[in-house]
Amino acid sequence: MGIFSRRKAAHPDLPELGRTIIALACEAGSVAPDGSTLVLCGANGQTRRQAAGKVTLAQGERAWCFHAGPYTLDLLPFAAAPEWGLRLRVLVDAADPRVAQQRFDLMLQSEVAQKLTGEQLRVALQSALQSALALGILDLPPCTTVEEWHVFRAGLNQLVYTRFGLTVDDCVPTDLAPQADYAAILRGRAIAPLAAPVPLLITPAAPQPVAGAIAYGADEDASGLRRLFIELGPLCSGLRLLELPAGGSTFELHQALLLRLGMASLNASSMPSLGWAAPDQPLPVLQQQRRIGSTLLAVQALDEAWAVLARMQLARSSEWLALLDEAERICANLETGLAGRRQLYPPVEEAA
Amino acid sequence: MNQTTIPATAVCRSVLADGRVLTITASRRPRANRADVKCSVAAAPALAQRMQQAVRMARLTEPVLDTRDQVVLSMDLAPAALERDWELAAILADRMVRGVYAPADPAAVFAFGSSDVWHLGRLRLAEVPHHGGMQAQGQHMAAAVCKVAASGQADAGDRYSRALALLGGDGVLVYAEGAAMPPRAPDGRCFAISHLGALQGHADQADCVASVRSWFPLYSGGLHDSLAWVEVSVYPLDPADAAGSEEDSISAPQLEPSRLQALRQTLAAARHFDGYGLGRWRTLVRFGQPDFQGGSYELALVMADRMARGREFPPRGRLIASGQSSAWHAGRVETVEGQQAKLELIIRQAGAGDRVLLPADWSATLPSGYQAQLRQRGASLACIGRIGMI
Repeated sequence: MGIFSRRKAAHPDLPELGRTIIALACEAGSVAPDGSTLVLCGANGQTRRQAAGKVTLAQGERAWCFHAGPYTLDLLPFAAAPEWGLRLRVLVDAADPRVAQQRFDLMLQSEVAQKLTGEQLRVALQSALQSALALGILDLPPCTTVEEWHVFRAGLNQLVYTRFGLTVDDCVPTDLAPQADYAAILRGRAIAPLAAPVPLLITPAAPQPVAGAIAYGADEDASGLRRLFIELGPLCSGLRLLELPAGGSTFELHQALLLRLGMASLNASSMPSLGWAAPDQPLPVLQQQRRIGSTLLAVQALDEAWAVLARMQLARSSEWLALLDEAERICANLETGLAGRRQLYPPVEEAA
Repeated sequence: MNQTTIPATAVCRSVLADGRVLTITASRRPRANRADVKCSVAAAPALAQRMQQAVRMARLTEPVLDTRDQVVLSMDLAPAALERDWELAAILADRMVRGVYAPADPAAVFAFGSSDVWHLGRLRLAEVPHHGGMQAQGQHMAAAVCKVAASGQADAGDRYSRALALLGGDGVLVYAEGAAMPPRAPDGRCFAISHLGALQGHADQADCVASVRSWFPLYSGGLHDSLAWVEVSVYPLDPADAAGSEEDSISAPQLEPSRLQALRQTLAAARHFDGYGLGRWRTLVRFGQPDFQGGSYELALVMADRMARGREFPPRGRLIASGQSSAWHAGRVETVEGQQAKLELIIRQAGAGDRVLLPADWSATLPSGYQAQLRQRGASLACIGRIGMI
């Protein structure tokens, strides 16, 4: 059990825990500081929480320590309004005894390799918020009234809890003006304009990608598939737990959705390796890049699915059909991404 | 977007240089592992390929991805090889059939525009190169393009007037802002865009000038009621000029001096209400139809200005507002006349994602079910007593 092993030297980032760092991976033998909580993840994927202290790990276990906060983060809900933001204060919630696995522990397990900094969390929260606003899952229109603000706050709380396992303690609209200067941003765009357009008439109809261009790394593919493998199961169980409105066709639609997500989960967990077309045949880099792009498409669908799940948890019965339609769209995108990841070469398109 | 409420086919038209009316039909069907866009033009496979390329590039600028459906696009005529103004019509047809663009009258949309950077959403053509290794080909292309332009020049005005004659009252004619030959007599149905987001009045996210449009109901006794737009474009002011008065930095070339003065006072007062508004921007205001009376456009103007300066949350669709004030420096919104006619016009024109802002005094006298009816169409309504958050 390693009880009598020597203590490891303290991690250099440990003093920042609770300020700029939210969670940190711990090695066996290191000591989690007072005031933090330990999360242990077994080889079978189960997580459990422990009080802070010396970390002892069983075979195949990993550990993180986190500080519950609160953390204050400034989010930008719209890229087009850079001087007007939301200031959130979030806390990692205490363990909820009613659920099998805390959502925050699931996030640590599937998304955090070494550490989770405040800036990383801010970027993740901001992109979740921007995507929910663009999809119409949340609404924050100009001249928001008090009622609309309450609806937005309820939706935001649910989204942040369902996607990240965090509790929104406080959220106020805030003027970012002296720091964020839209005029300076526009001046920067004027100095460095975009590349001049290339005439389409002269270039060949299908532009040939440059052979050596590498946009994505293989680690993005691996972490994306890891997220799909770990998170699709809990997402399905979240959907299963929803209380459906009585009557109508919602039951059939819900069952069909669960079936498709189950198949997608099976598809993701049996995905072939990235770099090989056949046992002794490496796949060209160009096709690997296309495959990674497909993985990222599936991961984007997964993020949207968490947002729709959060919306469904608050939905009135009149909104269910529209939400199930949205879930169907996300499911189709997920299947498209997974199918593209599985293909070795892009399919030949039918003649025009 | 609920798929059942959108019809499975959409039509967008354009007029070719020789005066023929080109109809681009888009239809939607379940994808079933087929290509996302399929284009067909009788006896012109190269043209179909170009149409598919333009549509796919333009799709990259949309916020929502939907891989459920396949869209099939077809043309009833084959335009000449170097003619390209149908591209915008193809893109709008593709957007209409999926509900991404929802004009008030989907059967009456004309579009003229082409671009080499559809993936950025901009309507901008590349300069034809005249030098280097491509010289011979470049000159050949330039000569060909000039010939097309020259042949188009003779009847370019004709093209637009022909389209306007075929349009109904609620129809819309969309054309490129920098077109070589704009319509001679643009009326309220003509709509110039420089990028695809401008259809909803949004600013181009990559441009150094932020220009935002918002709409206001223009009431003229029933027959010619329409939603008119006002556009505010801002560019950072040089620090050297910042010392001048705020009103001198605002210009509106379409207006005569007395109305220009009123507009300048409105904007300057509204910026005074906003903490960081003064002394930072050079401003240009344009109207779709400059000849109107009354001050009910002021709320739309002020909101467009706030959004252009990046200090207001933008709506997903358009912003439609009616309201004026005697105290913009306090951010107050006061009532305007013509409630009945304006409400009817708004309910007819509002679409998914639109935001309607009305004076607070109207909230008591709204027809019953008006707000629910708007919400049914995907728009949201607020009756506000002052601008800004809550």
